[in-house]
Amino acid sequence: MKKITLIALATLIVLGGLLMGAKTIQVKGSDTLVNLVQILAETYMEKNPGSALAVLGGGSSTGIAGLTNGTCDIANHSREWKAKEIDLAWEKGVKPRFFAVAVDGVSIIVNEKNPLNEMKMSDVGALYRGDIKNWKAVGGPSLGVSLYGRQSNSGTYVFMQEHVLGNKNYSTDMKEMNGNAQIIEGILQDEGGIGYVGVGYLFDQSGKVRKGLKVLNVSKTPDGQAFSPLDKAAVDSGNYPVARALYQATNGKPTAASADFIRFEISDEGQQIVVKEGFFAISPAQRAENEKNLR
Amino acid sequence: MTKSLKLAAFLFVGLMALPSASLLGQQTFTTTIYFDYMTFMSNAGPYTLKPSSETTAYKNNQFLFRRAYFNYENKINDNLKFRFRFDADNTANITSVSLTGDPVSGVSTKKDDKLRPYIKHLFLEYSNFLVPKMVLNIGMIETLTFKPAEDRWGYRSVAKTLVDGYKDITGMDILATSADIGLTMKYSFAKFFRAAAGIYNGTHYSHAENDQFKEIEVQAQITPIAGFSIVGYYDYERKLPVASPPAETAPATSMFKVDAYFEMIKNFVLGGEWFVFKNDLYQSGGEKYDVGGFSVFGRYTIKPDSFALFARYDDYTPNSLDRDLDMTMIIAGFDWVPFHKSWKIQPNIWLRSYGDGTRYNANATSNSDIVLNLTFFLSF
Repeated sequence: MKKITLIALATLIVLGGLLMGAKTIQVKGSDTLVNLVQILAETYMEKNPGSALAVLGGGSSTGIAGLTNGTCDIANHSREWKAKEIDLAWEKGVKPRFFAVAVDGVSIIVNEKNPLNEMKMSDVGALYRGDIKNWKAVGGPSLGVSLYGRQSNSGTYVFMQEHVLGNKNYSTDMKEMNGNAQIIEGILQDEGGIGYVGVGYLFDQSGKVRKGLKVLNVSKTPDGQAFSPLDKAAVDSGNYPVARALYQATNGKPTAASADFIRFEISDEGQQIVVKEGFFAISPAQRAENEKNLR
Repeated sequence: MTKSLKLAAFLFVGLMALPSASLLGQQTFTTTIYFDYMTFMSNAGPYTLKPSSETTAYKNNQFLFRRAYFNYENKINDNLKFRFRFDADNTANITSVSLTGDPVSGVSTKKDDKLRPYIKHLFLEYSNFLVPKMVLNIGMIETLTFKPAEDRWGYRSVAKTLVDGYKDITGMDILATSADIGLTMKYSFAKFFRAAAGIYNGTHYSHAENDQFKEIEVQAQITPIAGFSIVGYYDYERKLPVASPPAETAPATSMFKVDAYFEMIKNFVLGGEWFVFKNDLYQSGGEKYDVGGFSVFGRYTIKPDSFALFARYDDYTPNSLDRDLDMTMIIAGFDWVPFHKSWKIQPNIWLRSYGDGTRYNANATSNSDIVLNLTFFLSF
């Protein structure tokens, strides 16, 4: 009996300690969003003393799984949810609500020594599928192509696969990097390299595209005009073909604390941070949809 | 050359023709280990009975390694995944056999309890096979029997689930396993309904096929509302004829199982499973008997990746004709991550009650056992 009493007491002490701890909003997921959301969270916490947010990356798949398993409150994701993720969420009683917090032009980058300035989207797909292995075939120098991409838990990996590779598999020659920053480091050192990163990762401290990188214009159709992911009008209009919204998801109606943070992210002040970090602000239609989902 | 040999040769040549780079996808190596510090909190039950003699060993407290898994997974591409899993337990192993006499007149064996690895999983998983949302597994694969309950219970490190957990306690094998050689097909028709079917040797991962019969398993899951699922399961296998009375020329075994899971409240899982194992082989006084039971369990995560509470109640009937053998078990404990989620401490207490404890140990003077386990879970 004495032993049982001791165990019960120890359990109560641990439980009490856990319950008395401050509630931290856990945000997890997309590596494209992680830096941006960290800055948004820091600004929000400065303005709201006593609030606590922890922001982690790991990829969109990690965030979606975290929301489904209850290990995070907000999932960052840079792609739509897959059918099997929606099925699993349903099984676990999770009813996701989505909030667009930024717009991204996925940027196709090469080393600045590569003479190409633009590419057709179909050629980008052919390169990443491994159908084309030399830059000469797409109007570049006679040089082998080195592919840099993300790991399969990345939303950008999936987005590119669905929208650029025509749902085909990536070439097995692609180097699967941990994050956007690693892709950029690879391209800077590889004249034959091609990579894809979120637009927010292109810039240096002065707000210019990082030295040594070239951002390619991309055309939607073989005969169409190529546009830059740095051109907000082209991204907003859909003329830049590799653009997407970046989302957060909550399990059902967000809690008061989560909702307050999301309201800050989509406010004018939050969206100014989005733009400052190199992404694009959400459209009025996306903002209206967000407001609806917050209610 | 037989048809099957031709097929095997074709597959082999095809695999060899694959460029080696295409087999090097995302590779991961992981290890999971759990072990206990176990101590008895009762001393008169069938399991915890203290010997009358002081010189007889009484293992009322001990460190006990229960499982060590080593996993290698290779995600070859978005649809193709390979898994190799070594499992290790310390079930007594015969380490040597000595024969004496010429001609041989005596045999002696030596045993030890070292953790020894064996292959638990060795399979390919092909997603979007033939049509989207269809998954094919082939090789030494996970069967359909325990998986939904194990996933919801979530504490395999503390205790096996109902169907799997009592074979060792009662000595009544119910021909159910977590892995076997064969193939399964799973298909998600909609978020409301998914189904799976499998065919296996039926001899499980510890034995090669020993007859011409195969085991079939079918499973259907309906989730009519978000967070509430019902899973129905059935398996069947013919066995070799037996001569013992009553003579069976086409004996068979089958299991019916129904699970229900309630996951509508955030961080709370409530699950239940019921099963009956029917067969033509187990007989008592010439009469066939079933094995069955039900289990209800719940876990509540107070702080994700930090602290959770769990509890379970099992009611198990090893012989439907002899209810004195019935037992119930209550498990309660908590799951605590003190520093990093790769290391969990899961203190748990088991209260096992028997219809008649003397049926399991003739000298028992109590019909219950209480055991405290301090379970350590390591994953890296």
